[in-house]
Amino acid sequence: MLGYFARRLAVMLLMIFLVSTMIFFLFRTMPGDPTAFVVDPSIPAEARQQLLERYGLHDSLWVQYQVFMKDLVKLDFGDSFFYNRPAMEIIGEKLAATLILMLTAMVFAYVIGIFGGAWMAWKRGTPLESVGITISLIFRSAPTFWVGLMVILLFSVRLGWFPAQGMRTAGTGGGTFSEVFLNTDFLKHLVLPALVAGLYFVATPLLIMRNSMLEVMSEDYIEMARAKGIKERIILYRHAARNALLPVVTAGALFIGSAIGGQVLIEVVFSWPGLGREIVTAVTRHDYPLAQGCFIIISAMVMFMNLVADMLYAVLDPRISYK
Amino acid sequence: MNLMKKRMWISLLVVGVLLLTACGGGGASAPAAPTESDIPDEEMGEIVPSITLLSSLPEANMVNYEMAEEIAEELRLLGVDAVAQPMDFAVLLDVLYGEDSDFDAYTIGWSGRVERLDPDMFIHSINHSDNAEPGGNNTNRYRNPAFDALADAQRQEMDIDARREIVFEAQEILGQDVPQVTLYSRANMQTYNKELFADVINIPGEGLFNEWTPFSIRPLTDKTVLTVASNVNIDDINPLSSKSVYGWRNLRLIYDKLVRLSPEIEPVPWAAVGWDVVADDVIDVELRQGMTFHDGEPVTVEDVKFSYELFINENVEYFASFLTPIDTIEIMDENTVRFNLKYAYAPFITNTLAQIPILPMHIWEDIENPVQYPNMEAIGSGPFKMERFQTGEELVVSRFDDYFEQPIIDGYIFQIFASPEGVLTALELGTVDIVSYDLVPAHTEQISNNEGGKYDHLELTEAQDIGFFYLGMNLDRAPFNNKAFRIAVAHVTDYDLALDVHLNGYGARGGGGLVIVEANEFWHNPDALIYDTYDPERAREILAEAGFTWDSEGRLRMPVE
Repeated sequence: MLGYFARRLAVMLLMIFLVSTMIFFLFRTMPGDPTAFVVDPSIPAEARQQLLERYGLHDSLWVQYQVFMKDLVKLDFGDSFFYNRPAMEIIGEKLAATLILMLTAMVFAYVIGIFGGAWMAWKRGTPLESVGITISLIFRSAPTFWVGLMVILLFSVRLGWFPAQGMRTAGTGGGTFSEVFLNTDFLKHLVLPALVAGLYFVATPLLIMRNSMLEVMSEDYIEMARAKGIKERIILYRHAARNALLPVVTAGALFIGSAIGGQVLIEVVFSWPGLGREIVTAVTRHDYPLAQGCFIIISAMVMFMNLVADMLYAVLDPRISYK
Repeated sequence: MNLMKKRMWISLLVVGVLLLTACGGGGASAPAAPTESDIPDEEMGEIVPSITLLSSLPEANMVNYEMAEEIAEELRLLGVDAVAQPMDFAVLLDVLYGEDSDFDAYTIGWSGRVERLDPDMFIHSINHSDNAEPGGNNTNRYRNPAFDALADAQRQEMDIDARREIVFEAQEILGQDVPQVTLYSRANMQTYNKELFADVINIPGEGLFNEWTPFSIRPLTDKTVLTVASNVNIDDINPLSSKSVYGWRNLRLIYDKLVRLSPEIEPVPWAAVGWDVVADDVIDVELRQGMTFHDGEPVTVEDVKFSYELFINENVEYFASFLTPIDTIEIMDENTVRFNLKYAYAPFITNTLAQIPILPMHIWEDIENPVQYPNMEAIGSGPFKMERFQTGEELVVSRFDDYFEQPIIDGYIFQIFASPEGVLTALELGTVDIVSYDLVPAHTEQISNNEGGKYDHLELTEAQDIGFFYLGMNLDRAPFNNKAFRIAVAHVTDYDLALDVHLNGYGARGGGGLVIVEANEFWHNPDALIYDTYDPERAREILAEAGFTWDSEGRLRMPVE
């Protein structure tokens, strides 16, 4: 088990190295001048040269790559061109906001998805099942920005129940984790974007759970349990659902991995100060350090969560073991 | 089910019709037969080289995109092989400023930043032949010695009325030479909550969130802190490294400047009592007394000298062109600073003195790498002091009570939104009081229509922008090296289409060679003749008069050498 874990970690490091290299060269083959978005074109040509020098972009690609790799080992992505601050710092600030939003949405989606999926499999063939599938698919395929706008229109503009924008009331202030996130103002702001994201995600766990339940339900031990006269609800949740969870766990773990990227459209519609928005603007601004940092962290996270999913398998299903 | 099928068929039909019309429009673009000529083809000049018109992606600038397509179409009708090619903004800049200068024509714009009210930028920087080499701002490669002489003269003329005369004359030359064709200017359409606040000031090019509104704006209720909405991010709040327009619109309220430009765009002494032009290249500035920084330390002439030298020594790109003329800075007495210039530089007062912020020497002199300093607790001597800056969320400032000119509001919150739609919702809900950017045309329409009275509390304001969008031409290349051809281009540009159709009327018309637009009242020459009428027939006549001919296949030919 430990040997397996170590081998997987080593492969992961190698992959991160490869991905980082790819990201580095990908950004530099992107057409366009990175100074164009940082300074106005009206600045004199010499000043532009100075700026390129300050960013270290006048060096050869090979030299730039060496510097990039050396810093990467120290987990330093360099200073963001736009913000003039370490990219790592910016990512750190935005990451919490994105993760909280995404994890809330995930909990919402997975709780509904797992229980709903199991229940729908149980009620196979009834109108309830098709209604459930249809609704979840509608939210899956409706553009999130449109759902977001409708939700804002209903709950913020018409009913006035929840704020429409940002993650706290303007001027609230406070910089520490508890000041920012552990208060009712933040929770109020969290409701709508989490709801929209959650509705969007719910189809995945719901449908996976339903499928896997249908398989499990044809197993002999379910028949056996029924024959023993155990209550339906207990068979459903204790005997069947638990064994049907495996694929949902994989999907969930991978979801957390990609959650860092956030849901750009939702972040834009709700002006949520998250990482998703930041990644998009960093790319269009040619802010190499920030964009590189974001993508490397995302890929590392996806790989790591893959590993976690594999490990979880062993816990959930004792028959699986790793050598 | 049947109903659904029917609907599907109808929508398919609609899509089909749309496609057909779209294609039909394209089919009609084959050149119409232009004027026939009796001269055999082989005795005519060269065929006019084909033209690629680089423009914006529709999502980046719809109007530029549309206008480029229009002009290409008009050129095709004239018998020129022309095509518009939209491209990413950064890539376009690379092409325009790159070493190869490989372009025929392009559409782009100059934004109406306040320092561009001074004519130097639009007269000298973008038209003087000194800047016509690759990398320079004269991307039209316009070279005219007579014009250069005027562009140099206005830069050195310290007497403002005499300078104005020169600038007027320069505009006349541009109007005749047509180094570029200005397509349109946008209007700064903005809005504020008139039920909560009154007495805003609206400035051309800047709109409502300018240097003066924070002083003048008056709360009508007990809400005394103004919430300003922005859909543009602020980069950072270090004056040496901030490069965003909105970063600066806030920084200039936290940091003070020796001179500010009044709402009428005249330089007024601000942190200075006045200036004295000792000689054309020697300027004395007398500092206002009794000012303090937000931490209580007094503002001295040493701080002023230190700040200017810091900006020069740290090579701050944003201000490079304003600072290059400075040779040395001397402290004359405890209230006077002398600037010795390398040469006479007329924009020195309006631009240099009105742009460079005064930094506290006691804080910055000990900082090892000032450009990298995060400056999260910015200490300035401006009318507002920094409370908090949260990247991507908000900047909060409060009134500085020891300032010599007191604003009425207690402070303001500069709130950053991810999209203009978000701001519109916030305006509707009343959570923001004023916008700091130009509303998108759709939102302007929505607010002015005021359906159901939901925008009753908003006042729509309009200011003309001093910036402009234009069709640039590479004068180093045929056919744009031919003046008559450029004048013809100015006649096939539909200025009304740009303004009335693409901008819904919120803006101003362009014209050939127009660089100082009407909104810049003081410097605009209303008597300069410019070609600003759409008249394709006249374009044909101009070309014919200049010796252009049309061959048997209807292609336009250059005049015979």
